Amino acid sequence: MSVPTTAPTAQSLSAWLVDRIGGYLQRPVEEIDTTVPLAEYGLDSVAALSLCGDIEEDFDLVVEPTVAWDYPTVEALTGHLLEEFAAGPGAA
Amino acid sequence: MPTTFRTFTELVLERTAAHSAKDAFVYLPDGTGGSGPEHLTYARLDDEARRTAAWLQEHGASGRQVLLLYPTGTAFIKAFTGCLYAGSVAVPAPLPTEQGQHFSRVSGILRDSEARAVLTDSANAPAISEWLAAEGMTDVLCLATDSGDFADPAAYREPGIDPESLAFLQYTSGSTSDPKGVMVSHRNLLANEETIHRVVRSHSDSTIGGWLPFYHDMGLIGHILQPLYMGARGVLMSPVSFLKRPHRWLEMIGEYGVEIGGGPNFAYELCMRRVSDEQLAGLDLSRWESAVNGAEPIRAETVRAFTERFAAAGFRPEAFFPCYGMAETTLLVSGAPRGTRPVLRDVDAAGLEGGELAPVQAGEASRTLVSSGACDHFELRIVDPETRRERPAGSVGEIWLKGESVATGYWKNPGTNKEIFDAAIEGGAPRGGPDGGGWLRTGDLGAVDGGELFVTGRLKELIIFSGRNLYPQDVERVAQTGEKALNAGSGAVFSVESDREHLVVVQEVRPSALTEDLPTVAGGIQRRVSREFNVPAGNVVLVRPGTVRKTTSGKIQRTLMRKLFLEGALTPLHEVLEPAVRELAARTADRSPAPVV
Repeated sequence: MSVPTTAPTAQSLSAWLVDRIGGYLQRPVEEIDTTVPLAEYGLDSVAALSLCGDIEEDFDLVVEPTVAWDYPTVEALTGHLLEEFAAGPGAA
Repeated sequence: MPTTFRTFTELVLERTAAHSAKDAFVYLPDGTGGSGPEHLTYARLDDEARRTAAWLQEHGASGRQVLLLYPTGTAFIKAFTGCLYAGSVAVPAPLPTEQGQHFSRVSGILRDSEARAVLTDSANAPAISEWLAAEGMTDVLCLATDSGDFADPAAYREPGIDPESLAFLQYTSGSTSDPKGVMVSHRNLLANEETIHRVVRSHSDSTIGGWLPFYHDMGLIGHILQPLYMGARGVLMSPVSFLKRPHRWLEMIGEYGVEIGGGPNFAYELCMRRVSDEQLAGLDLSRWESAVNGAEPIRAETVRAFTERFAAAGFRPEAFFPCYGMAETTLLVSGAPRGTRPVLRDVDAAGLEGGELAPVQAGEASRTLVSSGACDHFELRIVDPETRRERPAGSVGEIWLKGESVATGYWKNPGTNKEIFDAAIEGGAPRGGPDGGGWLRTGDLGAVDGGELFVTGRLKELIIFSGRNLYPQDVERVAQTGEKALNAGSGAVFSVESDREHLVVVQEVRPSALTEDLPTVAGGIQRRVSREFNVPAGNVVLVRPGTVRKTTSGKIQRTLMRKLFLEGALTPLHEVLEPAVRELAARTADRSPAPVV
């Protein structure tokens, strides 16, 4: 697992999310606009939970299973995750 | 085997006494918390069930319905067993807050079931009490069964129930607005657990389990009640745990030696996509005897690809267990016999559309069907759904069933029950005319050939999305809600299939709103549907008024709309399509300028 040694930045986090989401949706990453709701790309609950699993594995951060519905764009998710990182490990 | 029991309650009382020190269940909590597996022995299950049953009996809930709202975990199993002990009718339902929904989502089930009490845990009890008050259901009791000394197990008395008493109501049928609870009696439950036992050859040393939701028929009957039936061991994890990290399911199978268990086809697909080669190298699937694949269409491609890839982890081709079943038959109808490889059959695609299983013609399109095994434990007929006459072998028709596992009907739905659970076959009587009835109409299409049942499609418009039943009328209602540009009752929702199911919303725009910002209207539909159902409406087609076809009685013709959509016969004002669906529609349009029926 690729646990980053330094805290992620908005840019690196956004790129990581786009990469993962592109993978679940089987779409090229260029097609994913960070301001468009993920539901509009066809992100389903299985993919949303996959994303939670990936966040937990790669960043060691436990997130609510509903996170992709509560923060429905890459931009919103990035903001939320940065706040969670700032709050420290296990604070989710 | 244990057919001497009159009720499932008698059976469980015997099992808990006979196997007291043994683990009835092992529950694996979600990974990262650091908490280890939870072991629940038969003795502890018995003690907890007696306490809950004593409380239910004291509060007049024996013989009444009891709603179970729990997060995934052993508390649900204890409460369900408590209902069995008390002679109450358990009503398992999903905990809405686990999916980010409010409790009002299950208000329909609460009302329809006429529940005397709601059982839950202490984390959810306050919100449930508030919800009951808000619904004006102040006579419904609420108990947190993890709250310690609420009753004395010694006060418990065995209930006076018989084989026809109801064991539980299974609410998987019907929409949220009009829920339908399948009435499963003790006789039905004993009969179906016996069927499962015979088909998968389970025994008291078996390990059975998986990640399926406990309120789902396949999770409840297959992974929880089959272990109890056999006095065996169940090993369970939560759906969220599996969906986050699919390899944990396969790890669990290896670590605990799970022999019997599975899920819908999509679970195997997800493992294909999300289990890395590195993770695969650490798996041992050699003891998996019955990898159950049911509850949604079984894809030959998935069966082949999973078998091939996971052979490296010791998975054996004959372990795949494609099967067919539904809540209306308690659970299992048919399955491939243990120790045999799944039967795959290539048939001519055009022949199949015409209702026959025909050999593939050279150069013509074909489709591979997966057999759901032989149907040895039910009477099965393939019937023309229009004429209600039996169809010959190898012909496609509606699957009709009769047997001890077939439920009595839907709770408080005598009209529907006459139609669905007591159908008669025309020409079935010795001198012609209808036979005596008593057939269950499954709404599924299939054919029997060479003793194998092939399920080929659905007659009803139910959409099955990742093993979940979605009712088009529910999705249509949510799509239209709160948007001035859209009329109620003027949309059609259906699914189309590429390598997976895709939801399509065809929705009329009001004449006065044709100049509105249609991309925003479409985006609103997508947001509302995904928020309410947690499934993507990846495809929205906005059309002119009058495009959505209805019958003379005003019923929306979803099957026809699906056909028109696939043939490119709709003229959209605005559409959003997923790439796979765009491709599918283009391909179908090329192939068949077929007349609209």
